[in-house]
Amino acid sequence: MLGPVYLVPRQEAPLWLRASTFVGGIALGLLIAFGILIAYGVSAGQIVNEFIVFVFLDLNGLAQVVTASTPLVLVGLASAVALKLRFWNIGVEGQMWLGCIAATGVALFDIGPDLVRLPLMFVAAAVAGACWIGIPAFLKLRFRVNEIITSLLLTYVAYQLVQHLLFGAWHDPGSAFPNSQHYDEGTERLARLGWGSTHTGIWIAVGAGVLLWIVMTRARIGFYMDAIGANADAARAAGVPVVLTTALAAAMSGGLAGVAGAGLAAGQEYRMTLFIAGGYTFSGIVIAFIGRFRPIPVVVTAFVVGGVYTAGDTLKVFYQLPGAITTLIEAVILLSLVTVEFFSRYHLTYGVRERA
Amino acid sequence: MTNALEIVGASKAFDGRPALRRASFACGWGEVHALLGENGAGKSTLMNVACGLYAPDEGTIAVDGEPAAITAPADAARLGIGMVHQHYKLVQRFTVAENIVLACRDALGVRRPRDAAGAVAAKAAEVGFEIDPGAVVGALSIAEQQRVEILKVLLLGARILILDEPTSVLTDQESVQALTFMRRLADDGHAVVLITHKLREVIGYSSRVTVMRGGETVLAGAETAGLDAETLARTMVGEEGEAPERHARPLGEVRLRVEDLSVRGAGSIGVDGIDFAVRGGEIYGIAGVGGNGQQELADALTGLRAPARGRIAIDGAELAGRDVPAFRRRGLRAIPADRFRTGLLAELAVYENHGVTGVPAGEYGSPALVRRGAMRAAAAQSIEAYSIHGAAPGTAARLLSGGNAQKLLLARELRGEASVLIAHSPTRGLDVSACRTVHELLQGAADAGTACVLISEDLEEVLALSTTVAVISRGRLVGAFEAGQVSRAEIGRLMLGHA
Repeated sequence: MLGPVYLVPRQEAPLWLRASTFVGGIALGLLIAFGILIAYGVSAGQIVNEFIVFVFLDLNGLAQVVTASTPLVLVGLASAVALKLRFWNIGVEGQMWLGCIAATGVALFDIGPDLVRLPLMFVAAAVAGACWIGIPAFLKLRFRVNEIITSLLLTYVAYQLVQHLLFGAWHDPGSAFPNSQHYDEGTERLARLGWGSTHTGIWIAVGAGVLLWIVMTRARIGFYMDAIGANADAARAAGVPVVLTTALAAAMSGGLAGVAGAGLAAGQEYRMTLFIAGGYTFSGIVIAFIGRFRPIPVVVTAFVVGGVYTAGDTLKVFYQLPGAITTLIEAVILLSLVTVEFFSRYHLTYGVRERA
Repeated sequence: MTNALEIVGASKAFDGRPALRRASFACGWGEVHALLGENGAGKSTLMNVACGLYAPDEGTIAVDGEPAAITAPADAARLGIGMVHQHYKLVQRFTVAENIVLACRDALGVRRPRDAAGAVAAKAAEVGFEIDPGAVVGALSIAEQQRVEILKVLLLGARILILDEPTSVLTDQESVQALTFMRRLADDGHAVVLITHKLREVIGYSSRVTVMRGGETVLAGAETAGLDAETLARTMVGEEGEAPERHARPLGEVRLRVEDLSVRGAGSIGVDGIDFAVRGGEIYGIAGVGGNGQQELADALTGLRAPARGRIAIDGAELAGRDVPAFRRRGLRAIPADRFRTGLLAELAVYENHGVTGVPAGEYGSPALVRRGAMRAAAAQSIEAYSIHGAAPGTAARLLSGGNAQKLLLARELRGEASVLIAHSPTRGLDVSACRTVHELLQGAADAGTACVLISEDLEEVLALSTTVAVISRGRLVGAFEAGQVSRAEIGRLMLGHA
């Protein structure tokens, strides 16, 4: 008969163990994901073809990956900067919608001179996203209202707002569908890079990653974020301005999400539609977790997840797999990773406890 | 007559630190047996051994004269031993009956709460409680919740009842009721063990008393009738120990002035109208049994909790109601009671912990950027100066031992000019040599002209270090004496609210 099993926390996991559990976790997740795909009737050779050859070794495929990654980098950063402080921003999509609305507003009403129209759209998007997260942040910091609930529910409010505009005032009379009018070419669209559908939004996303990396490692607020993330009570007792820092981090999170929404509209759709922000909250959280809430790993992870998205799209089209397959793969990888990482923090002991 | 519960020669160490040293205890049927001792004397540990929660390193237990092997709580329950802990184990959203079924399903032989309601009501009536089995526990008062816990233990078939400081959370009236009830249980033939540090309760309600100090039994099962408060207090706190060398120093101006300070407590007791002043170079010791308002006082004095009323001034600047940065700008430094909960950032590196108070104060860089290199260098200096063992600037703070973690905390807090230092239980859980280091550092701070407040449950420490010794009881300062002008027994009596 099996004796009792005890979980014993490790004092300090060595670097090789942490590195190998990280890689091993992701590998295990991919393996399970491939198992699921094979169960769906995709052959192993086809998987290698779609996932590795087409996605990462083919220039057209790579261009698709970069395009898909552009918003993913931004939402990953948006989630990471909030989750770092255990501020659960579950409303990234809502903030993306607000960013979209703000950018579209600037574009439709031709606010500002042509030369600065595009930057203005993005500034407006960032401000709008930050304001949208500002509501849950204020409620949490002032009245201790759970931000998970408020930020999530505000997503639906944001979506209603988008519908209200697209079916009403901003509806393009020339279209049968609920879309806004197209953004003007040249002044309101992000320029193509001349490589597939890639556009300058990728520089915004990567630039945001680098900027955030500098903020989090060099700036005083980054140090405060580390302290609050580690132990908010101790940070407060040490004189760290916890409320102000949390508010600023939340604003950064919402702002990045807003920019992501505007980037999708100005870089790919060239107008506001009903399908811009769907599903990004979840991806953002997955990317932030896998990237350990650190900007550079988050950017890298976002590209990998972008690859999964691209491959998933291909699988959907060519193998008639359900659309949820991408989400499923993402989830399987994340779950494998956190499960495996658990064992870099604990080890199992059978039978007698070492010491009571 | 055989003893209901007898423990002989029980020892128990945690991480090499002895909590029990060959402690003994014997309690007869039909008596309320008081188990008296200061915090950390080993009372709860000893009774947790009897309940099967801790396995003793050595020693034997006998129940009703028979040697008993108690290795798990289930063994203790089968032998009729039941304990009501200080923190109740009740599901707040469940009704009384649901909670009882959760714990006593097998003993009652029922699975559904409504089937248990009858048995619960009957048992309650039998022992003289009024309790509604359908009431939601969260809506009951603390005293009523305690009754549910007692009822649970009785329904499990306990004949030996152990209550861990049952009156610490009750009002005076509720305490009288609870203690009267315990007497009645004993009169019915139960053995009742009352863990307490209140002399009143020992003298008023127990028939015999065992006193513990430093993990040892120093008075075993004496008849309460022959004892007075003076003797008990002295037995509990012991004789004068060997005091560390006390620094003689001149006292300066008043640096910390507290007037009419009241703080709302999280539990029942907060701080209730405290006045005192501490001068530069003075160590103002505040002794007291834990839970008498110390945490609330420390929180208020460090800016973590806004007082309900009153004034706190550092060097003449009024600070009550201001936030932590305002207190710290005035030179306030603090050693919190729980070093890893409110003191250190366990997951971060030693240098980050060392620098975290400096950054908001403008050290290590500009308002925009921090210079981590400077933080590392400063931490390396402190590691050297304070001999913090096992630490490099980059080591995670959680890997430090208790003593070294405390040295890191002190190194951080004693950096630069400190006007006031609030040290709350600064040696809790530390070994002898680490204690000595902490004491030296505190005296060193006072030597440098800092006004120190030492809030501690360790009377030894307070008497050894303080220039002024005050006692806190039920949120009030009930006495303040110059060092050497008061006996331990006197302080002991005041701590126990028996003046």
